[in-house]
Amino acid sequence: MGRSKLVFCVTLAALACGTLLLVLAAVPGWGAATGGRLLALAALCCMISAIGGVAVIAALRRDCNRLTARLRETSSPLQDRTVSLPKGGFAFLQRALSELADSAERAVADAAFRAKELEVQLKVATAERHHAEAIIYSISDAVLVTDAFDELVLANDAAARAFGFELGAVGRKPLDQILHDPAMIGLIRQTRRNDGESARRVTEHTIHTNTGDRTFKVTLSGVAGSAVDPGQSHGGVVAVLHDMTREKEVAEMKNDFVSMVSHELRTPLASIKAYVEMLIDGEARDSKAQREFYDVIQNEANRLGRLIDNILSIARIESGLVRVTRQPQSLTVIVKDAIEVIAPQAKQKQIALTERLTPVFYQTSADRDMLHQAVLNLLSNAVKYTPVGGSISAEVDVDEAARKVIVRIIDTGVGIPPKDLPFVFDKFYRAEANSRMASGTGLGLSLVKHIIETVHHGRMLLESQVGKGSTFGFELDLCE
Amino acid sequence: MTDKTILVADDETHILNVVSLKLRNAGFTVLTAQDGQEALEIALAERPDLVITDYQMPLLSGLELSRRLHAEPATSGTPVILLTARGYLLEPRDTQESGITRMLSKPFSPRHLLATVSEVLGGQPVTSATSTEQ
Repeated sequence: MGRSKLVFCVTLAALACGTLLLVLAAVPGWGAATGGRLLALAALCCMISAIGGVAVIAALRRDCNRLTARLRETSSPLQDRTVSLPKGGFAFLQRALSELADSAERAVADAAFRAKELEVQLKVATAERHHAEAIIYSISDAVLVTDAFDELVLANDAAARAFGFELGAVGRKPLDQILHDPAMIGLIRQTRRNDGESARRVTEHTIHTNTGDRTFKVTLSGVAGSAVDPGQSHGGVVAVLHDMTREKEVAEMKNDFVSMVSHELRTPLASIKAYVEMLIDGEARDSKAQREFYDVIQNEANRLGRLIDNILSIARIESGLVRVTRQPQSLTVIVKDAIEVIAPQAKQKQIALTERLTPVFYQTSADRDMLHQAVLNLLSNAVKYTPVGGSISAEVDVDEAARKVIVRIIDTGVGIPPKDLPFVFDKFYRAEANSRMASGTGLGLSLVKHIIETVHHGRMLLESQVGKGSTFGFELDLCE
Repeated sequence: MTDKTILVADDETHILNVVSLKLRNAGFTVLTAQDGQEALEIALAERPDLVITDYQMPLLSGLELSRRLHAEPATSGTPVILLTARGYLLEPRDTQESGITRMLSKPFSPRHLLATVSEVLGGQPVTSATSTEQ
């Protein structure tokens, strides 16, 4: 028994005795003297119980203070939850507190575990999101991801470039604040409204830019909201835009090429066929006319052959399958041969064909057939674009100091507008202004450039003035 | 022999020559032009009975030539035969709208061309003066 319990019992006993004595003192029949003694005794008991009560309260207060102090001292009661109180008194409080602390500790441990778990989940989710974003950013196609409220959730660099917005500006903003393309916004909204989850729609969309129109193949997919934004059940839209501008251009160029080539092939073939039939039908009245017909057939057959050579050569050079046989050659000889081939065509248009050549001992290491084709193409172009009665001059010069040989084909033709000059060597390119002057595949000059620069490591030369004429040429190294 | 006049327009000299010769041998009077603009001017001035034109020509295409001819009261009834290496590219609508009477593809047979000409000019078969054709 603790001291406080003893004091408590004495206090209780004194209080009981005092009360009893007071009752007895009031009993009638007891004498005044006896009553007085009893009252005195009762007063004594009251005093004792009062003193005891004070002592008990003091003891309780002390325990309370100690408990409070101890609890305050302990920064984390969970780490050291043993509050040592004297036995008895408030020891039951200690047990209760201990239990409370236990359950609190378990709850905190649980919470910590769950927090850890969530942290891991968050890390995984973040990594996955970064991964997905990295994939989306690395895609060369433009990607737009919107949510159920038509806010842009995600977009990649290609999309920013295609629609002309800052990638940094994306961050849950309404679509129409970022894209200034009502048609595209309409497509996205329509997909969101009409299509169920996983519905897919493919369409074509044209974006108008300062540098011209660009055509895209757009794949619009309705997706579940949670895929776009965790915790959202409504659906969003993923739009993937594949730039088809270049593909379309190439397809158009191929189309143009096929129709141009077939026209170019058919025209000489038409002459050959018609003149042969005329000969068979005896439409040529005399031997002179017959001779003319044979010449036409021969020249047109040659023209057809050259065209086929051009088409095949350019295809071979471009595919890297060309076989080059380089031997010392005289450009003077090559130019002379080419002039002979082209002379009938020039004569037909009454074009004066002159030459100024160098001695044949200046030689360059070259593939004869290829250079012949290149010079012939330049001459053929000159004839094509020089009006009837004009003149063409073929010149070969040697720069001994620089060890170069230079070929120039100078015509008095229609000339090339300055804006077309940078493109004349591009495959299929034909200066619009001159396309009415003559038909062509847009292959000849491209082939010449390939032969001179790709195969022989030379350099093309070009000067032109509209209405005055053009000078096409090239320079090659002389043999050591 | 016939008193009909035919205008032939083609920028390919060989084709122009061979068509002209075939028609002249058949007794037609032949006028020639080397581009669409020249053909239009000659047609308006000379009012030929028939125009045979290439499709792709400088200045004015065969279709445009036909369209312009049919817009002029003087030549609105002139039949036009289109001789083209690009027939496969033309829609029937294009040729109808331009008032093309017939279309022949290059390469072509001068014999077949002559037969078409006679058919267009009133259904009478015209045989070439020196033709060995059956």
